[in-house]
Amino acid sequence: MSGRALSGRLGTGGIGRLAAWGALWMVPWLAAGRLWAQDPVEFFKKNCQSCHTIGGGDLTGPDLKDVTKRRERDWILRFLLDPKGMIDGGDAIATDLMARYKNVVMPNVPGMNRDLAEKLIDLIEKESALEKSQFAGVQISTRPFTAADRELGRRLFYGLQRLEARGPACITCHDVAGAPGFGGGHLGPDLTQVYARLGGRKPLSAWLVSPSTAVMQPVFKDKPLTADEILALAAFFEQRAGQTPPHRAGARVAFLLLGLVLAIGLMFAFDTIWKFRFRGVRRPLIDKRRSTQAA
Amino acid sequence: MTQHTFDQFLFVGLPYICLVVFFLMTIYRYRTQSFSYSSLSSQFLENKQHFWAVVPFHYGVLIITAGHLVALFIPRSILAWNSHPLRLFILEVSALAFGFLTLLGMVGLIVRRLGNAKVRAVTVVSDWVLFGLLLVQVVLGVAIAVFHPWGSGWFSASLSPYLWSIFLLRPDPSYVTAMPWLVKWHIILAFVIVGYFPFTRLVHVLVIPNPYLWRKTQVVRWYGKR
Repeated sequence: MSGRALSGRLGTGGIGRLAAWGALWMVPWLAAGRLWAQDPVEFFKKNCQSCHTIGGGDLTGPDLKDVTKRRERDWILRFLLDPKGMIDGGDAIATDLMARYKNVVMPNVPGMNRDLAEKLIDLIEKESALEKSQFAGVQISTRPFTAADRELGRRLFYGLQRLEARGPACITCHDVAGAPGFGGGHLGPDLTQVYARLGGRKPLSAWLVSPSTAVMQPVFKDKPLTADEILALAAFFEQRAGQTPPHRAGARVAFLLLGLVLAIGLMFAFDTIWKFRFRGVRRPLIDKRRSTQAA
Repeated sequence: MTQHTFDQFLFVGLPYICLVVFFLMTIYRYRTQSFSYSSLSSQFLENKQHFWAVVPFHYGVLIITAGHLVALFIPRSILAWNSHPLRLFILEVSALAFGFLTLLGMVGLIVRRLGNAKVRAVTVVSDWVLFGLLLVQVVLGVAIAVFHPWGSGWFSASLSPYLWSIFLLRPDPSYVTAMPWLVKWHIILAFVIVGYFPFTRLVHVLVIPNPYLWRKTQVVRWYGKR
């Protein structure tokens, strides 16, 4: 049935019924959305702590301890509701903050509303008054790397050991010198030189506490790496930094050819499985007759 | 229109429009025109090319779709399977092979419809639109497998939570807005195909029980005027 034929059958009554069905269908979902009102602590954990600490120092974004003493409450409220809009609108403080934090734009957070923003500001105020906030961030050891750290980092990168919070292994999206077989993924950049690129152990560790790229941030915001995992990965990247990034052109061609060969093999398998399929009426009779006569 | 608004439309508005159209029109068509739930097979008109197109297409697309659904519903199983690089490579090569089968079948189907006058005569505009959408979608899928590996892993980590955020009415497009454009177009086109589904011969996949996978091949003929 074509779209035109179908739409032609829809009278006024039909459209009304469709609209009613649509409304009924949406009701339970909308109700469920209402019932899942956000707890500010859970919301902060999922959406804020990957870029901000409260009393643990700057990460991708500023340390929020005592932010209510530095800024007016109304400004914070407006910023939480639409950070991108304030930057685009030329707000002086927002623009200055963006420049100070490597031009990373705070994204508009899904689910944010005025009520939740008020609760978040209250939470930050309350946590700032504590000696140590639950959002002080992960403290990474500064002890020297060991061979065991590098080995654990290698296993974590390749996925041989799962990350504790069950995030995806680095090899899913990143390549690195020495990766086996076809190498790592190409969704993200090659990480062979990442240790030097980010400026060494401390910045790399801070980055891993809260990966801030637009692709990684949502994935790891509720699957953060542990302090031990960050230490091990930093040790692994330090070891790989001396090597040359891999050239995978050959591996890519091999991957492509292997897929093609397997596909051709499957076509042969189909032909064999359906060997006695119906192929025609007249032509097979003629062929059979000719082969009999020839014999 | 700002980038933010554009993303909201593509990855929040469009999916909901397509899903609502899918649900409502699929039910409506079944209630009003039950007998139109058919693939409208043209096997009777031409059978030689048909085999080399329809078999690889269906086995390819079924396996690939099943893979997407496993990554959507039990993403942890894919991440656990991929926890050894060799297993990851086996999964990705297999997926690429079935992607090639789908592509080969799709091209075969289009060539057959274009080249055979009898089959062309029973092909309507919505078929051509559907074939075009599916062809582009399959090409995008194969290109993603080749240029942005390893999709089985990052689909489970990024796209599965995005799709669940849509289904649970808490849309969070941040999972996909920074993805490469090949991936973004694959997602957009997937929703467009879902929305277009009830207006096409694709509805045959909903006919249950569905013995297409294991039954013997059969010839279908039409008596009605098309």
